[in-house]
Amino acid sequence: MMKSAMKLEKRKRFNRADWRTWTIFLPGMLFVMLFTIYPILKMFIMSFFDWKIGFQQTSLFIGLKNYVDVLSDPIAIRAIINTFVYALVTVPLQMIIGLAVALLINGIKKFGLFFRLGYYLPVITSWVVVALLFRYIFANTGLMNYFLIDVLHLMEEPISWLSSRWSALISAMLLGVWKGIGWNMVIFLAALQAVPLNLYEAADIDGASKTQKFFYVTLPSIKGTITFALVMLAIGAFNTYTPIAILTGGNPMHQTEVVLTWMYFQTFDALNMGYSAALSMIVTGIIMLVTVLLFGLTNRKKVA
Amino acid sequence: MRRKSIIFALLLFMVVAFMGCNNTDEKVTIEFWHNYSAADGQITVLETLIDEFEAQNKNIEVEHVFMEWSALKNSVTLGASTSVLPDVLRGDIAFVPQFQSLNVLLEMSAFSDYATQSAKVLASANSSNLMGTKYYGIAANTNTKILFYNEDILEAASVEVPETLDELWTAVSAVSSDSVIGMVEPWTGIWNVGPYIWSEGGEVLSPDNSTAEGYINSQTVVDVIQTLADLYEAGELAGPSMDPGATGDTDGWASELYAFELDGPWRATSNAAAEINYGAMALPEGSEGSISVLGGENFMQFKNSSEEKQEAAWKFIKFMTDEHAQVEMAKVGQMPVNLAALENDEAITAMPLLPVFQEALLTAKARPVIPEWSQVEDIIATKVAEAITGAKSVQVALNEAAVAIDALLDE
Repeated sequence: MMKSAMKLEKRKRFNRADWRTWTIFLPGMLFVMLFTIYPILKMFIMSFFDWKIGFQQTSLFIGLKNYVDVLSDPIAIRAIINTFVYALVTVPLQMIIGLAVALLINGIKKFGLFFRLGYYLPVITSWVVVALLFRYIFANTGLMNYFLIDVLHLMEEPISWLSSRWSALISAMLLGVWKGIGWNMVIFLAALQAVPLNLYEAADIDGASKTQKFFYVTLPSIKGTITFALVMLAIGAFNTYTPIAILTGGNPMHQTEVVLTWMYFQTFDALNMGYSAALSMIVTGIIMLVTVLLFGLTNRKKVA
Repeated sequence: MRRKSIIFALLLFMVVAFMGCNNTDEKVTIEFWHNYSAADGQITVLETLIDEFEAQNKNIEVEHVFMEWSALKNSVTLGASTSVLPDVLRGDIAFVPQFQSLNVLLEMSAFSDYATQSAKVLASANSSNLMGTKYYGIAANTNTKILFYNEDILEAASVEVPETLDELWTAVSAVSSDSVIGMVEPWTGIWNVGPYIWSEGGEVLSPDNSTAEGYINSQTVVDVIQTLADLYEAGELAGPSMDPGATGDTDGWASELYAFELDGPWRATSNAAAEINYGAMALPEGSEGSISVLGGENFMQFKNSSEEKQEAAWKFIKFMTDEHAQVEMAKVGQMPVNLAALENDEAITAMPLLPVFQEALLTAKARPVIPEWSQVEDIIATKVAEAITGAKSVQVALNEAAVAIDALLDE
């Protein structure tokens, strides 16, 4: 009796708040519906058609052919693998270095602002500009080879950094990591400053070493931030485009293609809208899977 | 009383508004998308020409919109489904088949005076508008590639200007040293390797564009690509698509790294800007002559414009392809297609290389005008790069190209 009355009261309260909730809720939801949900659904449909974008042209339903085409296309597979490698390398590296920098900056009393600004600068500079700079640095006659040969005398012959698949990807990954450290630093710095000091005091009383304090106090306290950064960076890494487009343009011979550069080519140069939609859906699937896995991994409850 | 005055005011407002509509109706505004270069002063000339055109045609207003090459192409691709398209576009000759496959182009030969106007322009340049028996555009400017060479480098190496393709390859090797790379080829599509293939009697596709088998992988083509592969291996040929770490062609010319390049009129402009002592000549002859590749831009119109705008746009296109506008554009680096402009003294003074280009244009060849061309050329560029860089043997790479192209053409 009591319970149902409370429920009724609750529902009433909800109903009263209804129109206000909806007014706040609706614009955002409409926006998401129109610019996120609808395009995804439309793309899902497009991926089953030989989609013609032309004026008054009819598209032909071809079932799973686009998916078969993507999965049997060596360049698409290479692009997906390249993207995975890019994500696997840049995400952890950015986070580890970003966290290390945040710890260092959190520990110093002077010049904190100076270092924060310094590490954050790459984040606010334009991707295009820094990618062009990296292209000059890693060119055959670029700064990197000059440094390795003429300054450090480590090698005799220059390395053609951008000319083969893995060395070009290494250059792109270096760019990605360098540009991402600042963002991680800011996120982790905020998290570190929110860790209650009394936890450290308690650890001190228990006689914990610095390493122990890091692993048993700091890390567990910023776990939520780590998950957040991990998921955001993984999504970002799967969407990488500019560094590759500018450093190599997918060259030589499509060896350095990532998913988005290949998708761009298929969409705007080859006008294979259906193929691109299928590739898009596959990547959306991969990103969703990775996100769910990452959330599951980092949020699993400790047994015992 | 009050209500009456409100009704009167409303009526007055409607009359004024209606008259206003009528006024704007008299003036037709057409939108013109292009990629004329601002840096070369072409946009300033364009604006002057538009003013002149508007003065002659009081009822037409031209709004021009600059877009760079890929933006121009992508905007039309998107516009095909959204109907946001210009009334006139001036873009790469390679756009014609691609836009036609989007079903957006207006058949220009349907205008009753198309034949009269097209007779005033170079037939070879205008052939890039022909699909089937209809023309979907008219030539705006033309270009082809001629051989540019750095005179200082040739002189330092005591190398003579080559007269045949074989002599060119020997010269490329002869000038190469620690500080000089004989030749630069920024890409490996037909735009780049086509002239060498055609001049030696090779072909890319069958005459009816139905197959590549037996053409792109013929012995002649294999030999030509093998020559390039040998030069690449010896470090005498470079290019950013084969090796993204290589110095770009403009940078390489400016730093006197590259000695030879087969390139278009813009190379003259950039070499002059970099104060390079260069010479230029038509492509040296191969066994079948000197056959370069046809480039340039066309004017196109779109079928979703209103009839009134289509007429106005056609008027503007005729103005732009007549002698006066073509000569003015020649002064800022656009090679004329108008036959009278090609002979015009002012144009020749402004473009000293015009006679060289004109000679090359006589034999220049257009790339196949088929909707799948950009995909076909990507396959060729990829496979030729694999062959030149030694990732695969030349014959294997070109056989693979033939199979891939035929699969695409069969779809």
